[in-house]
Amino acid sequence: MSEAEVQPSAAAEEQELLERLRAGDERAFETLVERHYPTMLAVARHYVSSRAVAEEVVQDAWLGVLNGLDRFEGRSSLRTWILRILVNRAKTRGARDARTVPFASIMPQGEEAAVEPERFRGPDDPFPGHWRAYPGTWQRLPEEALADRETLEVVLTAIHRLPPPQRIVITMRDIQGCEAEEVCAALDVSEGNQRVLLHRARSKVRSALERHFDG
Amino acid sequence: MAEHEHISCQEVVELVNDYLDKGLEPETASLFEQHVNFCDGCDWYLDQMRTTISTVGRVTEEEVPPEMRDKLMTAFREWKRS
Repeated sequence: MSEAEVQPSAAAEEQELLERLRAGDERAFETLVERHYPTMLAVARHYVSSRAVAEEVVQDAWLGVLNGLDRFEGRSSLRTWILRILVNRAKTRGARDARTVPFASIMPQGEEAAVEPERFRGPDDPFPGHWRAYPGTWQRLPEEALADRETLEVVLTAIHRLPPPQRIVITMRDIQGCEAEEVCAALDVSEGNQRVLLHRARSKVRSALERHFDG
Repeated sequence: MAEHEHISCQEVVELVNDYLDKGLEPETASLFEQHVNFCDGCDWYLDQMRTTISTVGRVTEEEVPPEMRDKLMTAFREWKRS
């Protein structure tokens, strides 16, 4: 499914949600909270010291969203706008706590291979850098194997084991469907760093799935 | 003999996500595709990464804790009244 196919309906759905919110529809607000709460909490935790403080920041951000709702003009998506409010509150709170770890210092240092180097032929081989043995094909795996509880458990465990910056990025991009720009803005990272974090996160989840499927 | 530019399997696995996110320079993207078209191992690897991304997309996230939901709904009702 291409973005062009998704965008118009997503925008229309958002417009409808916005109208219901402004009209005071509680169900609409609940939907919005359910949709954005996990990402908001993860992003807030990036700026403040504890989960309890992060929850306060999220709550505070929702008040900011409600108070700004009438002035929201839809120049960005609702999610981008909500995340901006959240990040501003989180940064203020984080600065007050003086506990924030700058992202640069938790960027993975140095090279971290997506696949163990031993799986490729060495520099003296006629085909350096080529697979010693091909990875397995998953093309014949039944659809059920990909969606069963055990597989999702493997994915979830792998995600939870990631260093926090990688975990937030893969959650935002691949679970929440955020755009790269939204991630960069929310976490205050460069486009390049966002790509590295996502690549490393996905590579580790792939490895976990490989162990699960291929043993 | 002309030295043909190419990328190795070990490079493919590091470029795969930028390729999927359309973040590669056109020349690199074309070298990537040439490689994958002729290398079963990398073609399967690319497919594995696509499968990984779609499987991650099936994971359901943490739910809103009930106390938080209550607090937020109360805030919403107050906002509605004001």
